[in-house]
Amino acid sequence: MTENSASMPERQPSPLMALLKALLPYIIAVIAAFAAAGVVLALMGFDVFRAYATILFTSFRTPNGIIQTLIKFVPLVLITYSFTIPLAAGKFNIGGEGQMIAGAIGAAAVGILFASLPMILLLPLVLLAGILFGALWMLLPAWLLYRFNINEILTTVLMNFVAFETIDYVATKIWPDLSAGHPTTVPIGPGGQLPMLVSNPPLHSGLFLAIIAAIAITIYIGRTSAGYDLIATGANPRASRVFGIKVSRMFLLSLLLGGAVAGLAGAIEVAGVHHRLIEGLQSNFLLLGIVIGLIAKGNNGAVPFVAFFIAVLEVGASAMQRTLQIPGEMVLIVEALILLFVLLSDVVQRRRS
Amino acid sequence: MDKRLALRLENVSKSFGPVRALKDVSFELQEREIHGLLGENGAGKTTLMNVLYGLYRPDSGQIYIKGKETTIRSPKDAIANGIGMVHQHFLQVEVFTVTENIVLGTDLQNRPVVQLAQARQRIQEISERFGLDMDANAHIADLSMGARQRVEILKTLYRGAEILVLDEPTTNLTPQEVDSLFESLRKMVAEGMSVVFITHKLREALAVCDTVSVLRRGQRVLTQPRSELSEELIVKSMVGSDEMMRESLIFTGAGSEKQGAWLDEASLLQVAHLSAVAKNGLQVLDDVSFSIRTGEILGLAGVAGNGQQELAEAVLGIIPTSAGEILLDGKSLGGRTTRQVLELGVAYVPEDRLHDGFLPTATVAQNLILGSQYREPYCKKGFLQWPVIYKTAERLIRKYAIQTRGPQDTAANLSGGNIQRMMLARAFSNTIKLLILHNPTSGLDISSVEGVYEQLLAYKKEGVAVLLISDDLDELMLMSDRIATLYRGKIVGELSRTQFDKYELGRMMSGVDYYD
Repeated sequence: MTENSASMPERQPSPLMALLKALLPYIIAVIAAFAAAGVVLALMGFDVFRAYATILFTSFRTPNGIIQTLIKFVPLVLITYSFTIPLAAGKFNIGGEGQMIAGAIGAAAVGILFASLPMILLLPLVLLAGILFGALWMLLPAWLLYRFNINEILTTVLMNFVAFETIDYVATKIWPDLSAGHPTTVPIGPGGQLPMLVSNPPLHSGLFLAIIAAIAITIYIGRTSAGYDLIATGANPRASRVFGIKVSRMFLLSLLLGGAVAGLAGAIEVAGVHHRLIEGLQSNFLLLGIVIGLIAKGNNGAVPFVAFFIAVLEVGASAMQRTLQIPGEMVLIVEALILLFVLLSDVVQRRRS
Repeated sequence: MDKRLALRLENVSKSFGPVRALKDVSFELQEREIHGLLGENGAGKTTLMNVLYGLYRPDSGQIYIKGKETTIRSPKDAIANGIGMVHQHFLQVEVFTVTENIVLGTDLQNRPVVQLAQARQRIQEISERFGLDMDANAHIADLSMGARQRVEILKTLYRGAEILVLDEPTTNLTPQEVDSLFESLRKMVAEGMSVVFITHKLREALAVCDTVSVLRRGQRVLTQPRSELSEELIVKSMVGSDEMMRESLIFTGAGSEKQGAWLDEASLLQVAHLSAVAKNGLQVLDDVSFSIRTGEILGLAGVAGNGQQELAEAVLGIIPTSAGEILLDGKSLGGRTTRQVLELGVAYVPEDRLHDGFLPTATVAQNLILGSQYREPYCKKGFLQWPVIYKTAERLIRKYAIQTRGPQDTAANLSGGNIQRMMLARAFSNTIKLLILHNPTSGLDISSVEGVYEQLLAYKKEGVAVLLISDDLDELMLMSDRIATLYRGKIVGELSRTQFDKYELGRMMSGVDYYD
């Protein structure tokens, strides 16, 4: 082609400036969310500045604060990935908590049944069982999508309710701890417990697993041809098929991987935090995970940072509720507002270009 | 002759962000004339007419209709002022009749019970008066593309249009249909109408227009009556220089002959008795047989939607076939996945670039390696080699003049023509034996089209077999060694280069020789 009008590449800005420029909409969104929620808090008669100081700094003031934050950070990161991996292929997994519960059940079952095994055998088995059960929990929705093209949003959500009943059954009927006032199983064998990094307050080594998983997932999606296949499928399944990618297999694979990661989150909760199966261990991680995934706009490298920030807010929220009697739900509202403002910044940027 | 102005646009400017799509364009349309508006893609033709039709508000400039300054804020204003527009891609309700489609959106006075007898009669009258040959009771689904377009014209006439704007009206028509369209336009002009005919096919403009204006990069660079025009003059003003014309394939008409001697007898692609049935049970390919030799370009003509895309996709293993065999270089493609077919050295440029050809949310670099993402040098041991990918992407962007901010730019930011360049760059960057192109030059400016043709001839020389599927008969006749014609999934005829004739092809495309 003779025309020589390809635009010159723009002058490359320094990486730091580029990063700042990319972060700017987020910073504005966070400030705007806090400001908007602050108005509500002020109208309710609370001390806004003390409330926000509590939310933002609790995590960093005491060793306990930082450890609480990291313990929340682990399941948040993994649940977020259970949402963003299928999202890369254009599929929505809204069943992360169901898969997490399934993973926890699998981990607890292995940990209780083989309680006498030494750590070198039992711990990997417990974690593996979690991963496997998480993926298995996804198998039905994934197969229904693959075979009958049934919408995965619906099926993954419905599988959550099955999981709620199943964990109840396991914790009250199969291995119940009758001394506990809450549906709980007996503890798993000591060999199945994750070693502690810090013993008091306790911080388990699942943190490393979460970080390793984050790095592996980021490399897999961004730097391998298999990850490329996922991204291409998510961007345009029709074109991907035309150029030789087996699209329905990609859907299946991405969902199963998502289930496996959520299952790992469940196993870590059992092996690291509770050392037994407890009903309700899924907390509200799924909701927060979806918020984190959407704030990160599906960027897997950004997920740990957003997840850490949300963990800070969550820990701060409990402290605020304890010390200032401000409902912790305020923080959920702030988080929702951040997401809204981030999405809004997208619209603004699109209008400008 | 005492001619009055039907329409005058004065110093119209329009910018989209930093892009100045129109720069002080003035345009005059006489009453009772057909005024051709030519220019390459992106020259501003459609933008100018969208300003007239109220789809865009101009940044500055005035519109005068019959000498009176008029503000047009919406298509509704335009219709009220007697302006009718037929878009290149129009929308019709297929299950409605012609009459129902035409009255749709007009104010029917006899609500709540729809009574269409009067409308039907008026439509029939208008249709006869202008020689549009239309049954007002026919259902749209049963009509050919040419007839559907006449429905659009009827629609504007029914709404009282005196100025008719046609945007690339001949895109999906056979030569016969083009002729009858031109005849109708002549009749309309004789009845007092004025027509703006937007096109990038200069031969058509010369055939039917009284006056021709040329736009280049948002400016009007030429307005001349037909009698003072030549093909050369128009091209010169469209392109802006005559340098490329001396060597040009398009204007010397050399095409495939230039490399004709390279043909040999070995068949590279053999398709025998190929049939395919779509999911809805429709037979989309019916006993199709043909072969392409090494170094040969086989053209495939046909009105859009007669099985062209299905044929390409059957060869590539994208859709299942119900019968028949495909051999590439002696190897059967049956049972091979699309990836395996591509690995045998097949490259494909699909027609529907938005749906089949590109990943909007991915980067330009990611788009450029689609299909080769797992192969060296882009990928080693499963890991993508981003430095290599970016370097290759930058080279392709430069070589094929893709206008983008760079390899990391989101592909959705590309314009249609640049997406096309990207798809061609991707296809041409592989080592190939068989190239399947479907409307490869749609949306490209003349110099890029020339580049594509040069590339095809280079491939011919290397012994690549090319299946060139195109709606553009000029393109097919210029580049092909043979042309086969598809009609309802069947090959209804094949012509060799010495037999090429536009009207013969048109007859085959409309299926007149063939009854099932």
